[in-house]
Amino acid sequence: MQVHMTRVRIIGHKRDLDATLSVIQSLACVQLTEGARAHAGLRPYVLTDEQEEMETLSYLRARLDALLALLPPVPDAPPMHWTEQALGAELQADISRHAPDIEQLARQREALRNDAETLPRYAETLRKLVRLTPELTRLQGYATIALLVHRRYREAIDLLTQEVELLVGSEYELVYDQVDPDHIGAILVVPQRAEAQVQALLGEARVSQVRLPDSLQDVPFSEALVHIQRRLDAIPAETDQVEARLAELAAQCRVRWQGARQALLRRIEQLRARRQLGETDQTFALVGWVPQPEAAHIMQVLEDRLHRALVIQEMPPKAEEAAEAPVLLKNPSAVRPYEFFVRLLSLPEGGSLDPSALMALFMPLFFGLMLGDIGYGLVILLIAAFVFWRSEKGSGVRDVAFFLMMGAGWGIVWGIVFGEFFGSAGHMIGLQPIWKERSDPDALASLLLLAIAIGVVHVTLGLILGVWQAWRSRRRSELWERAGMLLGLCGLFLLVAVVAKQLPPGWATPAVVVVIVGLVLLIRGMGPLGALMAPVELLSGVGNILSYLRLAAIGLASVYLAMVGNELAGRVGVVWVGVIIAVLFHSLNIAMGAFSPSIHALRLHYVEFFSKFYEPGGSPFQPFGRMESDEGDHPAGLAVPEPELAPATPGSAPAV
Amino acid sequence: MEDMGLIAIGAALAVGITALGTGYAQGRIGAAGAGTIAEKPELVGRIILLVAIPETMVILGFAVSAMIMLLLGG
Repeated sequence: MQVHMTRVRIIGHKRDLDATLSVIQSLACVQLTEGARAHAGLRPYVLTDEQEEMETLSYLRARLDALLALLPPVPDAPPMHWTEQALGAELQADISRHAPDIEQLARQREALRNDAETLPRYAETLRKLVRLTPELTRLQGYATIALLVHRRYREAIDLLTQEVELLVGSEYELVYDQVDPDHIGAILVVPQRAEAQVQALLGEARVSQVRLPDSLQDVPFSEALVHIQRRLDAIPAETDQVEARLAELAAQCRVRWQGARQALLRRIEQLRARRQLGETDQTFALVGWVPQPEAAHIMQVLEDRLHRALVIQEMPPKAEEAAEAPVLLKNPSAVRPYEFFVRLLSLPEGGSLDPSALMALFMPLFFGLMLGDIGYGLVILLIAAFVFWRSEKGSGVRDVAFFLMMGAGWGIVWGIVFGEFFGSAGHMIGLQPIWKERSDPDALASLLLLAIAIGVVHVTLGLILGVWQAWRSRRRSELWERAGMLLGLCGLFLLVAVVAKQLPPGWATPAVVVVIVGLVLLIRGMGPLGALMAPVELLSGVGNILSYLRLAAIGLASVYLAMVGNELAGRVGVVWVGVIIAVLFHSLNIAMGAFSPSIHALRLHYVEFFSKFYEPGGSPFQPFGRMESDEGDHPAGLAVPEPELAPATPGSAPAV
Repeated sequence: MEDMGLIAIGAALAVGITALGTGYAQGRIGAAGAGTIAEKPELVGRIILLVAIPETMVILGFAVSAMIMLLLGG
């Protein structure tokens, strides 16, 4: 159900603006809207000095975010409180004092991590090559080039030898051998004067060189492996030192800076909020949406806290303004999980019907009818209950798990009605249907009629709600259209009843009259194209009802798949093989039984049901003061918290 | 007996052909929907709705198939 929203207007002197915004922010119950519309003569508030302050604070916040990301976490401690005055120079000085150390340590930590990842790869390659290293590599004036060539390109070594001879004559040494199943390793020692030419030659030929890390460029090739191993051995101790120093800095700074960050967020939000105010030279005007049940209390709190010459008034919205109101949903705990499915489509328009309770009633029923099996219902119930228990409160996963639990419950109920337990396996335990077995061919017609009957009830209910909504919101064209559709369908139902000999033939004429009246109302509601579109629209209503045949179709598909699984399992001679086959088929059927009925139940609501009355397009209630850091505690759309306020002293902002 | 065979084929074609049509439509819509959700995750509800709309074809095919079996199959 939607909480009714009303507006509150506050007009005061600009010297009281900071205090007013602080109090409203601490309440977290007021969504600001365009203040300039509050009264004639107001203009939109223009940020002047506030713009520079906002940029400075945003920069500080970004710095803090970057530094806090580099610091390790500390045990939970309440963030330190910061005053607005301290958010400027004092915070900047604090950051400047510690930021260079933190950033330097973070770079060191990153370099150590890189070395720990890359050096073992170098070591592995060098181990393969080091046994080839000729004595020449130790001599001064010679450069060592290590190569790894794929065995496919073995002849490249001979070609390389020829080219190097052309460059340096006999003043070189080339040693090569197979170092692993796929590669040939080679060590080429050439005079340093010819190194650049040889490198260029290798580059043109696209021969892969084994390059040492930058830190080992000046280390002789033959000693590189020793250096790498020594470095790898030193890395853990150095890493521990760096982490310890970062932990010290975190202990000093994290709690303080988290408090500063929260204070920055609040101050930035206050400055941003000013864009929504109205102003004159001396005064400000603020308009906000508040939940109607809380309005009197909030206004009283504002008057008590501010002790100033402020004009605080309630401005209830007119009927045509109701759609502008933000949406706050408040439902009992059994219905609240279905708000997730409503939000998946779109929040209802302000002041319109919240369909969560209707979904809570019908969705599990539809799911259960399509599932219709005691065994499947029990399995899905257990799994959904486990997921519900383990998932986070308020999360979408928990809401879906709740729906599956309810749906599985109805699945067990319908399973008792149809006498199904893992398909036809119920016969083995003497289970008999209360009504009809779905797998019985004679039950098909009854099942289809049941599905259509449910469709008739659901669609008719949707149309009745649509008529009521249209009448309440005084939308005449919609009222005629929905009433016309309702009457037209009722007339068709009567006609079908006459054809099926459920009503005497004398009812045919009144039925036709009702259909014609319905068409006339439809034409009236649809405007100029109504004459053409009205019959089409009526037929689409019939199509919507026929769409509910999926309740029967999906259930039958599940039954027959279960039957096939049981038959196959029964025909195999070996018991344990039969059990495995049965488990595989039933597992597949349960997985499809959880997914497919959910999607189809949702689709029936979104398309066939909601199209008759639902008015989407609402925006969620986002009160000023509920920031990103609080989002996990107070998700938008739930009950508004009671404000807890300390007494204020004149001239100061209250503690937050 | 022959008639039952033809009736069964007719019923199968009624649901099979509509299922092909539904599958083709939903494949196109689903592919476009996946791209949309990648850019705008908040539209997932509407995409589910759009993907589910063509299913009316196969449901009506099932209805015709059921009618064939019931009315002609005896």
